[in-house]
Amino acid sequence: MSLILVQILNGLQYGLLLFLAASGLTLVFGILGVINLAHGSFYMIGAYMALTLTAYTGDIFIALAAGIPLAFLIGMAIEWLFVRHLYKRDHLQQVLLTFALILVFNEAQQSIWGNYPKSIPTPSYLSSSISLTSDLGYSVYRIALMAICVALALVMMFVIQKTRVGRLIRAAESNPEMVEALGFDSRILFRMVFAAGAALAAAAGMLAAPVESAYPGIGERVLIISFVVVVIGGIGSIRGAFLGSLLIGLADAFGKVFVPKFSSVLIYALMALVLVLRPNGLFGRS
Amino acid sequence: MLKAPSARALVVLALVGALFLVLPGFVGAYGLKFATRIIILSIFVVSLDFILGLAGLVSFGHAAFFGVGAYAVYFVSPESEAANALVALGAGMLAAALCALVIGAFVCLTRGFYFIMVTLAAAQMMFSLFHDTDIAKGSDGAYINVKPDLTIGATSLLDFDHRTTFYYVCLALLVLTVLALFALARTPFGRIVQALKANETRLSALGYNAYQFKLAAFVVAGAFAGLAGALFACIDGFVTPDLFSWHQSGLAIMMAVLGGAGTLFGPILGVLAYVSLEETLKTASLVGAFVAEHWRLGTGATLVVAVLLSPDGLAGYLRGRPRQTNAEPLQDLEPPKEARKARTLATRSLSKSFGGLRAVDNVTAEFSPDLVHGIIGPNGAGKTTFTNLLSGAFRPSAGEILVDGENIAGWPAHRIARRGVGRSFQRTNIFASFTVEENTRIAAQAEHPSVFRLRDGALREAERAKVAHALSIVGLADRAGVVAGSMSNGEQRQLEIAMLIAGGGSILILDEPLAGMGPEETRRVVELLRALKANHTIILIEHDMDAVFAVADTLTVLALGRLIAHGTPDEVRRDEEVIAAYLGGHAPDHKGAPA
Repeated sequence: MSLILVQILNGLQYGLLLFLAASGLTLVFGILGVINLAHGSFYMIGAYMALTLTAYTGDIFIALAAGIPLAFLIGMAIEWLFVRHLYKRDHLQQVLLTFALILVFNEAQQSIWGNYPKSIPTPSYLSSSISLTSDLGYSVYRIALMAICVALALVMMFVIQKTRVGRLIRAAESNPEMVEALGFDSRILFRMVFAAGAALAAAAGMLAAPVESAYPGIGERVLIISFVVVVIGGIGSIRGAFLGSLLIGLADAFGKVFVPKFSSVLIYALMALVLVLRPNGLFGRS
Repeated sequence: MLKAPSARALVVLALVGALFLVLPGFVGAYGLKFATRIIILSIFVVSLDFILGLAGLVSFGHAAFFGVGAYAVYFVSPESEAANALVALGAGMLAAALCALVIGAFVCLTRGFYFIMVTLAAAQMMFSLFHDTDIAKGSDGAYINVKPDLTIGATSLLDFDHRTTFYYVCLALLVLTVLALFALARTPFGRIVQALKANETRLSALGYNAYQFKLAAFVVAGAFAGLAGALFACIDGFVTPDLFSWHQSGLAIMMAVLGGAGTLFGPILGVLAYVSLEETLKTASLVGAFVAEHWRLGTGATLVVAVLLSPDGLAGYLRGRPRQTNAEPLQDLEPPKEARKARTLATRSLSKSFGGLRAVDNVTAEFSPDLVHGIIGPNGAGKTTFTNLLSGAFRPSAGEILVDGENIAGWPAHRIARRGVGRSFQRTNIFASFTVEENTRIAAQAEHPSVFRLRDGALREAERAKVAHALSIVGLADRAGVVAGSMSNGEQRQLEIAMLIAGGGSILILDEPLAGMGPEETRRVVELLRALKANHTIILIEHDMDAVFAVADTLTVLALGRLIAHGTPDEVRRDEEVIAAYLGGHAPDHKGAPA
């Protein structure tokens, strides 16, 4: 029983982190019309920023406060340098350019931080665990992590649903030309959306760093699972990304317990099932 | 469509080939092994080009089939003796083809972004399968103790353990792969695969099952990737889950595009260029220690620049001069008479809702043979939705569509087209990168739309006659060699009609065929419609009222999704409800009342 409880918590925690990464990916697909393979690299950058910034500031949360705006700026720069040239190009060229970006990011990561996994300290005041049942404890940091993910997700939902910028984003998703014709500069809007996606992915990477440490290839693992989430949820759908993330998070957590060797395969099987039943994802438009 | 390599390209390929042939005399064991890798990589990237460059499907999981091919050799190799080389390579191809069939059955349901993501995920699943489980020793990889050979009786014909022999086997298989895929691309099957890239919607509307063609192309590409994988396993006699790595898939795309996707020989140049670049950047004595240490950075950056600056790749520089389009017009040939597939089209209470909007509302109408039926109505009347329902582009929400009494509501577009219903689109919908003749030929070929049609054979003459006949009657006989996308809008619409005629549909649905046409072209198309109605049922959606009233035998008027009038042009002209619908608001309850 307590095992199931722990796995539910682990699954939710993984799912929430995935949601932060996948929501940016799905927004960039839906609004900018770009398949960004380098999205996972922002997660990786987040993890390593956590390493360096925590070393300087001594606290993951201060690192987070500094790292998210920094990731936002990096996202803007990447959009300005590379991604904006891809809006009018076909999928193949998008794949090529963003794949090459991965190679560049990975090389940069290895040059700066080296090849070995690095662990990031959990803040001392959260390193204890609370007891869920009489014989079961759960790390306070993991609970804080989930709370922050939920908070960030809520902020994002609020921005998209309730603010002027959010209305523009939703409008741009259904008809970018019209938004432009109404006098809004969609270039700025696109840059903001891309940068926000990058910041969310980096935030996920930073939050996860004390739990899973930082290591080469971390971004690509997240990227591929995020693709699975987007396929399950439907391109451009935040709701779909949320549901897909939690589904994958829980499937992964329980797969690891019940079918340890097939837990990854299980996730892809889930994706195949959704594809057959709903080829455009759970919340995708046909 | 795939062209034979130009003279310049052939010279370059001959040089590369000659270099590969004599290479073993000049390099040592290491160099030979390196060259063998390059050749095997070339087979892999060429196989990717079949799906990527020809069919236009960006597969990001091609390494899955490479890996499966390699592991198949491991599985068929006995513990301490050599497997039969033919069995080993055959097993690699077969296993990869089967794997591609299973994965393809899912991924070919998708397109665009989804296709890229799902192929990537599928390959990653294969990686997990071989990495996380105990299959073939899991993440450690596994050894093939004795490499395959080919022995008949007591004489060993080919021993894969012998480096030079193995090198030449790989070289021969590369040549065979390119030739086989090239030949396949020029079969009726191959033409449709290339048409997938040009325009999938049009292909379905002509009666082809696009899914089957995608899947077949995916399996072919997978099988040859499996061959490459099987050979790769024989280099070191070692297989590891890293063979499935998505970096492999990504690099293969890079190399294909760098060399020139869609040419089948370009990828070989791409592999050579990539490997040369990588080796140069790794060599500290050439580029300095700093660059050599960060060679990945240099490779990545160079590739991006190369690909963005020359999207046609290296093969793009080897293109021949465009051939003079043959000025000789095609001679009109009388195609063999065929039984008419369909005569009457009718709808019963046909409806389509989008959310709360009833775009087509309870329409019952009949379109009888040998007449031109005009469908008119103000903007937003539901004319195009109605057309899309008839052709199967949309599924009806309710009601029936009858072809000679058979209800076809809910059939997929390609099946309706095969039943004899051809359609043109409001926005011209042709294979823009193909010539006029190739466009029409693909339509003519639709009479026999099987995936497994690999020869023109006895049908060649009949199809040629259909093409020539269709192009003559629409007046494009002298334009046969022109690339369709370069023609005027009016000519493209004529071509679309020629495709419908050649496709053998006997009920033709034409969605605004006159839009954007000048007076001369309009006159010509009106004449054409008059001539065609002798053995077709023609349904014409059109805004040009003069033309409609001149050519139509019956008129059906839609307004706000409903049928408000049906009759001869004269009857319709006098109908008060029609006048009200066109002049002002439409008030069905008070006939003719002003809005």
